[in-house]
Amino acid sequence: MPSPPPKPCLYAVPGGVLSLSGPALLEFLRAVLAKGASFRFKARGFSMLPFIQDGDVLTVSPRPARRPQPGEVVAYCHPETGKLVVHRVSARRAGGYLLRGDNAPEADGLVPPANVLGRVDWVERRSRRMRFGQGQERRVIALLARHNLLHPLIFRASQMLRPLKRRYPV
Amino acid sequence: MTISPDAVYAVSDDVVAREIEGEIIIVPLVAGIGDLEDELFTLNETGKAIWDKLDGRRRLTEVIQELSAEYQAAPGEIEADVLGLTAELVRRRMLVAVPAS
Repeated sequence: MPSPPPKPCLYAVPGGVLSLSGPALLEFLRAVLAKGASFRFKARGFSMLPFIQDGDVLTVSPRPARRPQPGEVVAYCHPETGKLVVHRVSARRAGGYLLRGDNAPEADGLVPPANVLGRVDWVERRSRRMRFGQGQERRVIALLARHNLLHPLIFRASQMLRPLKRRYPV
Repeated sequence: MTISPDAVYAVSDDVVAREIEGEIIIVPLVAGIGDLEDELFTLNETGKAIWDKLDGRRRLTEVIQELSAEYQAAPGEIEADVLGLTAELVRRRMLVAVPAS
């Protein structure tokens, strides 16, 4: 005789964050944004270092009526691979946007506006909201990245800060 | 909350639910569905079997009959499970009653 089925249960997912990837994440993101709600998920990868790190929690809001501005970080569906990508708007062009990861060696190519799904409003790291990279400085970051100056600058800054970090570890 | 076995329930517009890798993931779109802000939900296997049948067409009595046959369990036992889970999902605004066709 088969054992009785377990009682049906509804469970809360710890932390309320989806650790999905690939098509499942893209489908969920589309479905939630289509209803006008924001969506939180864990970022995977290193192309947006240092402003978005692997494991940071991103909150993406539906695409605003106005066009994404240079410097803003957006979630989009890559026109060639169909994958979900989170990168920064580098520049606007006729027919779309130039997008680029802050840590990427080159731009992603021209992305049509229809592929842009939403804007990253918040980045959380270890339950703290990270503001740097999301404010007005984002325009400077986009400009520096476009001219391949962002990483030399960050490298130099991290070298200068290293003695301080050694002396005052976080 | 009283749930009638003759009622028909469907997934609410206040949530987005998808089956991913065999699991149902439910994302609330409005505040107040979870006990904590920004919660996500999933169901165990039995809960998923019930959820899959709450499609806005079947009455709960039909859901109970089908599950009794599938699980070879007494209808009374299954009825308590179906009504209990439905009540919780309605309370959390994940399901809504729809007119029976």
